[in-house]
Amino acid sequence: MLTGNAAAAWGARVSDIDYVAAYPITPQSEIVELLSKWVASGELKAKFVEYESEHSMIAGAGAASLAGARAFTATSSQGLAYGFENLFAVSGWRAPMVMVNVSRGLGMPMTLQVDNTDVFSARDTGWLQLHAETCQEILDFIILAYRWGEDERILLPVIVNMDGFFLSFTREPVYIPSQEEVADFLPPYEPPHGIAFSPEELAYAPTIILGHSYSYFRYQMHLAALKAKEVFYEIAREFGERFGRYYGPIEKYMLDDADIAIVSMNSFTSILKGAVKRLREEGYRVGVLKINMFRPFPNEEVADALSGVEGVAVFDLNLSTGAGGIIYPELLRSIYHMESRPRVVLDFVGGLGGKELTYGEIRFMVRKVVEAMRGEAEPTPYPYLLFTEEDVQRLAADMEIAGKKWGGF
Amino acid sequence: MYRFRFHGRGGQGIKTASRIFGTAAFLEGFNAQDFPMYGPERRGAPVAAYVRISREPIVSRGYINNPDVVIVGDETLLFDPIADPLRGFGGGVLFVNTPSTPRIELDGHVVTLDITGLALEYIGRTSAISAGVGAVASKIAGFTKSNTLDAVAMELEEIGVPGELIDKNLKLAEVSYDSVPSFDLESLPSIERSDFVDMGVVQVRLDDGYIGVATIANLGNTAIRKTGNWRILKPIIDMDKCTGCKICFAYCPDVSIYMGDDGKAHINYDYCKGCLICSSVCPFKAITMVREVKTL
Ligand code: SF4
Ligand code: SF4
Repeated sequence: MLTGNAAAAWGARVSDIDYVAAYPITPQSEIVELLSKWVASGELKAKFVEYESEHSMIAGAGAASLAGARAFTATSSQGLAYGFENLFAVSGWRAPMVMVNVSRGLGMPMTLQVDNTDVFSARDTGWLQLHAETCQEILDFIILAYRWGEDERILLPVIVNMDGFFLSFTREPVYIPSQEEVADFLPPYEPPHGIAFSPEELAYAPTIILGHSYSYFRYQMHLAALKAKEVFYEIAREFGERFGRYYGPIEKYMLDDADIAIVSMNSFTSILKGAVKRLREEGYRVGVLKINMFRPFPNEEVADALSGVEGVAVFDLNLSTGAGGIIYPELLRSIYHMESRPRVVLDFVGGLGGKELTYGEIRFMVRKVVEAMRGEAEPTPYPYLLFTEEDVQRLAADMEIAGKKWGGF
Repeated sequence: MYRFRFHGRGGQGIKTASRIFGTAAFLEGFNAQDFPMYGPERRGAPVAAYVRISREPIVSRGYINNPDVVIVGDETLLFDPIADPLRGFGGGVLFVNTPSTPRIELDGHVVTLDITGLALEYIGRTSAISAGVGAVASKIAGFTKSNTLDAVAMELEEIGVPGELIDKNLKLAEVSYDSVPSFDLESLPSIERSDFVDMGVVQVRLDDGYIGVATIANLGNTAIRKTGNWRILKPIIDMDKCTGCKICFAYCPDVSIYMGDDGKAHINYDYCKGCLICSSVCPFKAITMVREVKTL
């Protein structure tokens, strides 16, 4: 039985990391606490450095990776934001480190609970992103992430995301492969262009470049990220053969004969999967499309999974204010060129700040899609907020304590 | 799937209790998933933990609204509107850690045990009830004593409890285990209910800016929560010994001590959390702490 945080620490440990850059933040701290314990006891032979901020931490881990170390770090929300600038630096260095993000909303209003807007804000930084639904996936994705990012065709850093509380503090049975088993799959990192162990003398300096070079180097990162999907299939197949757990950029759940798909990422997908069974008993032919890989975005896989589906409900546990959910436009890009794309695609924002996702809300999503399919409701590009009568009552109580004259809805 | 919900106060060990139970379930061959929920609050604030156990893979996550078994680690939470431990209780088993018999009318089984009293006896601390609470849940589920005690030892070791203290906790766990009955979970009426609650979705509209920002405008809003109810030990000032030196007044972290017109210290029990600081700093040993038993 491991929490998501412990699964992350174990994932790093069996990946035989060399360098841990640490700075604490709830709900992530348990990860680096465990790693520091193992480094102190000698169970993990790595260098552990506690930094004074996430900004230096990410730079330090990236530099270690560039020097040839297998580097690991972890953060969350405000910490990710504080180190944000250096996300671009590390990916631009093409340093294949791995960072776990434990997703949490960014204040204000302050919360410790999940809102995936933090990790999606790192969407354009050049990092690859894998998102976990279960504690087992966290551990496995970290192992995969090292093998993936370190591949010479890719050389990009990877974020492995898990939801705060719903995974970080949730314990589930997790299979921990031995270090030897993992070593066969993930050999020691031999940086092909490392600066530390080069046989020749080298200079290494960042440069300020003109547009043609800038365009070329940025686009190289883009091409490498696109290539990464193909490489993921290769290594995920080998991982599956060795460990018996097969992963792809997406996962389909009861989708093959479905008319309606709920699209989701991360831990709340488990709740949606459970609800789908019951929705089917109520007569809705519905399935779930889970997206594991956010960068590169699996356009073809998403389009393929949604061919034959008439209506789509996108569950967005995030909010880009003034636009809507963040997965929604990504998905629309995937399906726009399909010959017969789903007729209705609606966006639903829910679970923000760890708010419970109830069955009533899940059925609401499906019903709205059905109404729009029948022409009974206007399709809209704007999201619906999943918010229940009970939420209103609780909000009213909070408003009273806060001294706000609020009239309810 | 069987759903267990634990309620307690921060610092009481409820999260550990839920993990003891989760591990015991795992040792019994169940799939288990445990999940504690707490905010940034300090010690004493209500916390909850959710444990699902199943012979099938668990395709679910998060809060439990329809528990089969509710475990309440602190009797004063029973009717607390925020903790609301009876929410969704549907005729299963309710366990309350209390020395008294709670006066509640409800369909289902009510089990009580004074784990706090046992913790004082076997460990000498009121806050160390996790082993007892975990063991009680484990017994209610019908798990074996050996798996229960193994789980207690594993979880306490995990959080760095030293060996001799683990032995004392094992004693507490064993006595607690032996003091409550076990139930055939499959026969509880709550089992029929699904994991899902059906709630209507409402449309949120735009409010004025001053409403739509998360600020608190009300002075003295803590008056609504009398935080003194989570006290287990109550400080009593011996007025013959009190010299009015104000040391306790300065140290009380909850500003619950005031100096009276008589020049002596007095305690506002509405907010005193029984932290023992005043009694340990009083140079005249004027403050004694006594076990407080609340009647429900
Ligand atoms: S510290 Fe002791 S003597 Fe001094 S005011 Fe408080 S109770 Fe009285
Ligand atoms: S026990 Fe004493 S110091 Fe602690 S809250 Fe109560 S009055 Fe204050």
